[in-house]
Amino acid sequence: MVPVDVLKKISDVVWEIPVSYKAGMRVPARIYGTEKLIQELDDAVYDQVTNVATLPGITKYALCMPDGHFGYGFPIGGVAAMDVEQGGVISPGGIGFDINCGMRLVTTNLTYDEVKPQIKQLVDKLYERVPAGVGSTGFVKLSRNEFRNVVEQGAQWCVRNGYGWEADLELMEEQGCLEGADAAKISDKAIDRGVHQIGTLGSGNHYLEIQVAKPENIFDREVAQALGINIPNQVVVMFHCGSRGFGHQVATDYLQIFLKVMESKYGIKILDRELACAPFNSPEGQAYFSAMKCGINMSFVNRQVILHRIREVFSQVFKRSAEDLGMHMVYDVAHNTAKLEQHVIDGNKRSLLVHRKGATRAFAPGMADVPERYQTIGQPVIIGGSMETGSYLLVGVPSGEQTFFSTAHGSGRTMSRTKARKTWRGETLQKEMQSRGIYVRSTSYTGLAEEASGAYKDVDRVIEAAEMAGISKRVVRLTPIGNIKG
Amino acid sequence: MEMAIRTPLTIVTGSLGSGKTTLLRYILTAVSRKIAILMNEFGEIAIDTKILQGKNVQMVDLGGGCVCCSLLGELTAAVDEIIATVNPDHIVVETTGVAEPDALVFDIQENLRVRLDGVVTVVDADAMVKYPQIGHTTRIQIESADIILLNKVDLVAESELKAIINKLHSLNKVASVIRTFRCQVDPDLLFGIGREQIQSPPHHRHQPEFESFSYTSQGVCDRSCFEEFANSLSSDIYRAKGFVRFPTGTYLFNFVAGRWDLEPFESSATELVFIGKQIADYQLDIVECLRSCEQ
Repeated sequence: MVPVDVLKKISDVVWEIPVSYKAGMRVPARIYGTEKLIQELDDAVYDQVTNVATLPGITKYALCMPDGHFGYGFPIGGVAAMDVEQGGVISPGGIGFDINCGMRLVTTNLTYDEVKPQIKQLVDKLYERVPAGVGSTGFVKLSRNEFRNVVEQGAQWCVRNGYGWEADLELMEEQGCLEGADAAKISDKAIDRGVHQIGTLGSGNHYLEIQVAKPENIFDREVAQALGINIPNQVVVMFHCGSRGFGHQVATDYLQIFLKVMESKYGIKILDRELACAPFNSPEGQAYFSAMKCGINMSFVNRQVILHRIREVFSQVFKRSAEDLGMHMVYDVAHNTAKLEQHVIDGNKRSLLVHRKGATRAFAPGMADVPERYQTIGQPVIIGGSMETGSYLLVGVPSGEQTFFSTAHGSGRTMSRTKARKTWRGETLQKEMQSRGIYVRSTSYTGLAEEASGAYKDVDRVIEAAEMAGISKRVVRLTPIGNIKG
Repeated sequence: MEMAIRTPLTIVTGSLGSGKTTLLRYILTAVSRKIAILMNEFGEIAIDTKILQGKNVQMVDLGGGCVCCSLLGELTAAVDEIIATVNPDHIVVETTGVAEPDALVFDIQENLRVRLDGVVTVVDADAMVKYPQIGHTTRIQIESADIILLNKVDLVAESELKAIINKLHSLNKVASVIRTFRCQVDPDLLFGIGREQIQSPPHHRHQPEFESFSYTSQGVCDRSCFEEFANSLSSDIYRAKGFVRFPTGTYLFNFVAGRWDLEPFESSATELVFIGKQIADYQLDIVECLRSCEQ
């Protein structure tokens, strides 16, 4: 652990490690969280966030959100904005292997009482229709060339092909398609890994959950209404997944490319090779940026196809159309990306490549890129808690400027997957959850044990800390009643 | 509990570009046993060959009974399918460079069809010099190892190698460190470690039942002295292997459970690895004996 006297307390929930802490730090590091959350952080986070502070072009601070824990190179929960006009770099370790892993939230006009008798049937059918697990393949059959088109076009391709509604598009970051995605920058191996994976949840902490918005868990009624949550005990569907093997391969391919050129061609010295990077304005950096955009789009497509399947299942079970069931999207957020954004730094507008790894963009009311209908309330932020406890719907706030308008993405692990597997048994956990009114299905019992709530930080404390720091604002806390774990 | 003989399984891990694929290629050329290699993806081992589509794995025949498999489903199911289909003598699982192998170790120990033979971690010596901090993933890979192959030793100076080995020992006290160039190592050194069901939880490591250490020297050894030493090795020494330099040239020494032989081999230095129970108790004696043979 970093000696306490090194950590400078900026407020009850913001802690700073000064540049004097480590040779090469260009900016201070700032970690968000209450004193208790800070004490729970593993040592690797301090190492990693201060390593990030040494990267070329980093602006203001290397940041770690309240749900931070260690990751590959950067901590998960890491935010780093690189000034692309000042030699700023792009780093796959700052984005994550599951490019554009993200959350989507969909409403229904059903109440808990209406859904409760059907919950088993719903979860079983969803389990059947939305493939989960390590090697799962989807129902969308594409040629490799078609897949290349799909990753350039993003969710718009889905809507054109009948997987979703036109109105869904405006409720995603970038309308579901990041411009400039170039499939020519993608390896054949990445294509091979991704081509059969559209419409699949994958494994690990990915899941699909049926949740209830209980009246006592609504923190801001007006904003909740604007987001489509307006019936007592309303049922919603939340899911978490990403770009599967495709994004993973893109990141692996470019890490290897960057390792070759980083020092020899660009003279960039880094402390830990997991931070491999290249200048954003270099052929290699630009190639990765274009390839990563394909990963972002693949993930939007994946979530869009899954949404289509969810609507089909609800429609079958309740024998009403999805439109009639009010299955509107609330929003789709990414939490593993790097995006080129304009931010005002010390009074000057700058072009920054904002890496968010296990961190969610949280734009304030009135900002461009916030959908028209949410302009007055701010960008919705969807936070997945552990499958046993609960999840959150938040919105961005003006004071989010301090973190380049970024906030947490989940509750954050406190225990390694291995330790969790040894601590809980999946079968027992499943029964316990069922007795508490959560019906859960999983492809793997050991995988289920990994996701036990005891292996995570308390999501309520994480979200409170984010609100106290002024980087996001609570709207609704959502309680799970049915879960499919990938 | 179960009657069937469990297939030995070795995990090969290491960071991106450390030499895992090179090692696997080398193993395939150097062993005569039926080996099944299981990876997340085919990677560069199997290209342009006929793929046999299974439920949990895709397999490619590499000839000589060896297969290369890529994972489609859960690892446990994939392993069962490989055993049922090709019944290999040994399974090698290659993790991706970004994987933390501790969870994999756990999965394998839950599977009754296989026994974990050992974890081999390939470390890039050059990267250890270039990047002052060991990444978190690499650290877990090193901590999980039974044998560390310190690869690319040709790219770093001898003095730096010592510092790297000290660093590796500080992270993992029990693993033996073998220096390699292009991952050329006798595969028999990697297999038959017999780690079995003794994986310790990641946060408090027990001493495994079998341990190993290595001995390297530029000295020349007296042959009859060495032979006497080999005959006197304790029955707790399960295996020893490596090169030993005699006045007449360098020989490959191969010791298994009391039996041993020597055959001429192209190598310039003495480099021996000893594996056995509570080997630390014997380490000083062994080193002393070998030194005295070099007088």
